[in-house]
Amino acid sequence: MSSFFVLFRKEFKGQLRTYRFLIVVAVFFVFGLGTPLLLKYLHALIPAEETVIGIPEFTSADAVQSFISSLGQLGLVAAILVAMGSVAGERESGTAAITLSKPVGSGSFILAKLAALSVSFGAAIIVGAAGCYLYTVVLFGNPGGLNFFIANLLGALYLLFCLAVTVMYSSFVKSPIAAGGLSFVTLVAIAGTAGLPGIKYYSPGALVSWAENVATAGGPNSWWVLLVSVVLIIMAIVMGWQVFKKKEL
Amino acid sequence: MPAISCRGLTKHYGSIVALDNLDLTIEDKVIFGFLGPNGAGKTTALKIFTGLSRATSGKAWIAGEEVVSHSCSLQSKIGYLPEEPAFYNWMTAKEYLTFVGRLFSFSSKEIKTRCGELLELVDLSRDASRRISTYSRGMRQRLGIAQALMNKPEVLFLDEPCSALDPLGRAEVLDTLVRLKEQAATIFMSSHILADVERVCDIVGIIDRGKLVVESGVEELRQRFAHPVFEIEFEESAAPLIGLLESLPWVEKVSSEREDNVFKLRVSARDVATAKAELPRIISGSGLTLRQYQLVLPTLEEVFIELVGNKRD
Repeated sequence: MSSFFVLFRKEFKGQLRTYRFLIVVAVFFVFGLGTPLLLKYLHALIPAEETVIGIPEFTSADAVQSFISSLGQLGLVAAILVAMGSVAGERESGTAAITLSKPVGSGSFILAKLAALSVSFGAAIIVGAAGCYLYTVVLFGNPGGLNFFIANLLGALYLLFCLAVTVMYSSFVKSPIAAGGLSFVTLVAIAGTAGLPGIKYYSPGALVSWAENVATAGGPNSWWVLLVSVVLIIMAIVMGWQVFKKKEL
Repeated sequence: MPAISCRGLTKHYGSIVALDNLDLTIEDKVIFGFLGPNGAGKTTALKIFTGLSRATSGKAWIAGEEVVSHSCSLQSKIGYLPEEPAFYNWMTAKEYLTFVGRLFSFSSKEIKTRCGELLELVDLSRDASRRISTYSRGMRQRLGIAQALMNKPEVLFLDEPCSALDPLGRAEVLDTLVRLKEQAATIFMSSHILADVERVCDIVGIIDRGKLVVESGVEELRQRFAHPVFEIEFEESAAPLIGLLESLPWVEKVSSEREDNVFKLRVSARDVATAKAELPRIISGSGLTLRQYQLVLPTLEEVFIELVGNKRD
């Protein structure tokens, strides 16, 4: 297990040094602050005479819901962009061959990448959510701390799912672009199933709508979605590891 | 116990046979040069030996251990330098070697000591705190050698350590390899640059189209596989001699060239003993002014061309 921590440390340091960590955190922070601000001043930005349908008065629940929704869309794209080269890029450049010629398990190699990416995105969500919460309280009133926390936790789980799928594809193919393309198609398709009757009760894509419901304190809990998402995350890790183990470097 | 051995090692990439039934035994503490033209199967063999690739059939043993893909136990005994070593460019050389040391579970003290020794060995101490992205190709190659030596490997695999380097970079890397001889590890070095192999290797294996053509000591190879050549220089044209020499049964080939006012003859002999006895007599009888007369052994390049070139003809 010690090689996992060495690799995790290297991965995280790499994200700091190459500014990927900073960029992800900054993007989430801007969205966190910007979402309640945009809703508050939407009336001012779009004059009433220019709108066909009247813009409603937004509440703190709307601000949080909008932030969670952005997390699902923006987070998906950010996760793919940051994670698509994680394994494929190392195979393509040749760094994986040197690292894996040392006493390093391929499982540790994959897991360390996912763990470091998860920490970065976790930090980004915390910073973005803090900004969103602060501005929502100031501009609209308290949205309810516990619901806000749970909604972000579900959003974080969805991003972990996106990262796991992207890292899995990244270990399947040698080209980061191909890994990104495969991940995008898969994740958009899964997000689409969140609206399909029957499947929506089991699709990880429904995590975002569940989180939105929690944020607005309405709608039922979807425990099957939670369970299926966790199982699929584990499956993505195991599949990525098993396929990567058989790859020639 | 041999440091490296393999039996019937075969590797197919679809219909392409990259390695064809390779049998090899390399004793401990030698520098083995694995020679072959591009695409001969050198890198494939090396990747199988290091556990980074799987053989289609056959078995290999390194330091007494059977090679299994991604075996941590095997990888703790070996060092590996790929043809074009790639590093995390955001790291410095010192950070990279520290990272490698940690992968071998060395203590901080061990890592510090080993980093210092290796940076000194590859002459990178002064640049140890510079980002790897700023390194020249020669410096990256030397850093690649340093990382491969971190664990004091029993067997060191170097894939074309000097290819694509400028003459200065090549000299730097070869100097490092010569210094490594003193560390008494077994070194397996693949190359298509014959002069490099000739300079540092004790034993040579020549591979062509996935098959081992020959395995032998460098000197033994010269003696066995190429005929000695007599180089004779005259101050006048040696044209009258050429016809005479070509008609003799113990002469295999005669070639001539002129350089300024020096006329050179290269005589390959089928029967060296007879040539040694007869040639001075013939030269003396020719009345030509002799400048130089010497028997030269062929270079490894000539042996290589004879072995690989003949097979292709």
